[in-house]
Amino acid sequence: MSEFLSLEDLTLAYGGSVAVDRLNLAIRQGELIALLGPSGCGKTTTMRAIAGLLAPRSGTIRLDGKDITRVAPSRREVGLVFQSYALFPHLSVFENVAFGLRLRKEPDLAARVAEGLATVGLSDFADRAPAALSGGQQQRVALARSLVMNPKVLLLDEPLSNLDARLRLEMRMELQRVQRETGVTMVFVTHDQAEALALADRIVVMRGGAIEQVGTPEQIWTEPASGFVADFVGFETILPDPETGGALAWRPAAVTLGSGPHSGVIRGASFAGAHREYVLDTPLGVVKAETPASAPPLAPGAEVAFDLPRERAVRLASA
Amino acid sequence: MFGNRVEGLALTLPAAVFAAALFLLPVGILLSEAFRTPEGWSLGAYWDFFASPRNRTVFWRSLALAAEVAAASAVIGYAAAYAIVSLPPKSRGRVFGLVILPLMISPVARTYAWLVILGRTGFVNQALVGMGILDTPLRILFSETAVFIGLLQLFLPLMIISLVSAMENMPRDAIPAARVLGANWAQVFLRVILPLTREGLVIGGTLVFTGSLTAYITPAILGGSKVLMLETLLYQRVAVANDFVSASVIAMILIVMSFSANLLLKRMASARRARA
Repeated sequence: MSEFLSLEDLTLAYGGSVAVDRLNLAIRQGELIALLGPSGCGKTTTMRAIAGLLAPRSGTIRLDGKDITRVAPSRREVGLVFQSYALFPHLSVFENVAFGLRLRKEPDLAARVAEGLATVGLSDFADRAPAALSGGQQQRVALARSLVMNPKVLLLDEPLSNLDARLRLEMRMELQRVQRETGVTMVFVTHDQAEALALADRIVVMRGGAIEQVGTPEQIWTEPASGFVADFVGFETILPDPETGGALAWRPAAVTLGSGPHSGVIRGASFAGAHREYVLDTPLGVVKAETPASAPPLAPGAEVAFDLPRERAVRLASA
Repeated sequence: MFGNRVEGLALTLPAAVFAAALFLLPVGILLSEAFRTPEGWSLGAYWDFFASPRNRTVFWRSLALAAEVAAASAVIGYAAAYAIVSLPPKSRGRVFGLVILPLMISPVARTYAWLVILGRTGFVNQALVGMGILDTPLRILFSETAVFIGLLQLFLPLMIISLVSAMENMPRDAIPAARVLGANWAQVFLRVILPLTREGLVIGGTLVFTGSLTAYITPAILGGSKVLMLETLLYQRVAVANDFVSASVIAMILIVMSFSANLLLKRMASARRARA
């Protein structure tokens, strides 16, 4: 499949400060893409630019073969579900979902709204006011409001961050189901790597206004391209590799505790249910390790031998 | 709050007596002046007042000017309020301070400043003549235009303050959400901003309308006796003609118009809500 949504040399700025610097990204039709990164990495800014809410300083945005860089947000055929949901409090759930359709003078309004509400399982809530709904329900209204417009791309800003753990899992499955049923291309922004790994077809890791790595969840998880990505997906011990001049990174589980050529002092220990986590001060630097919960606990302050097996490390071009 | 109602009522009694004796009673006596004739109670004074073409002119002029000032301040106020709430918090406070600043300056001083600006040799005329746009200076002072400008400047901050606080209470992202759903700016305003800020508009509109209607200094200085308003006419009837009956009629008209304006604006706002 060829590219459907492409960002070419996109530079975005607020006043004098550049938020995103010459970003290039190609997204295929029907893909579910996660923009992953810490706050301030430019992921939300990028999404607002795709929606047309922020005019790029330079660069091009292309959607379905058309240059939409200068097209008004109202004519882009892009949907956006805001982190705050941004429902209209003066309108009922029905009217919220009907908002865009009315502007479009949709002839089949009632049926389309009913269909949209059914998709998100809120058919019985059409006459309610948004304020009378729970956070999760409000978000589903916001989702329906965007979906009924049949957008070419649906953007979601931190779709799960305002929900509690149980609802989060439910919404995650909901989003996957909607994506499967409608085939809409989705781009969502998140700072949570677990969320990105669980949902996305491909993950775009961003840092400081630039792309750090693009890959499938498996690639990001097993072959992080940089120390930043490695750290983000749980390779918490990153040390320079004297043999290659690059760096090596280990997950806590890959560190052998209790035997090995190195030794360090336990600075912190915590019990995490299935395992115990340790932070070690060593001559090599800080090392993070874990042992199964069944292993005998080690006390803070104790000196312990450890090994960093090369075969269990990932190689990085640089730390 | 209080152990018993009697205690609460007792505490409000001094204030109630004060207000009744020194405000309600005199106002009542003053207003009843117009209904009392040697032959008994009558609406004759009102009939006489509106029978005079000059009074009718003043009445309609006051009503129209107050409405125009309220409408103009709503238009400018929405633009200013949107600009202010779009600013980052730090400069928002600073700009908001600039909006409030004129309220701290005496209206007399502010109105005299307009004499300097709008006069025959004021800098508006000097600039227009200097640039060759006009051959002779424009006569702006002592016209309805001058009163309009003075009142607008006087009361615009009240509208901006009301609209800024209304807009700050709008849900974040409601405007971008409407734009992404296909609304152009006119539709964003009519379908989202206006319904969500109508309380602020009613408050601001009432303040500006009643303020303009009952302002005395500005029409007196900028309009003079050429552009009489109800308020300046009232003063003239009392100070020059010692005609307390007409003054009482005008006072009643002003009170009725102020209350009606507020009720009308509220009704307009709730009608919009009922439809939505």
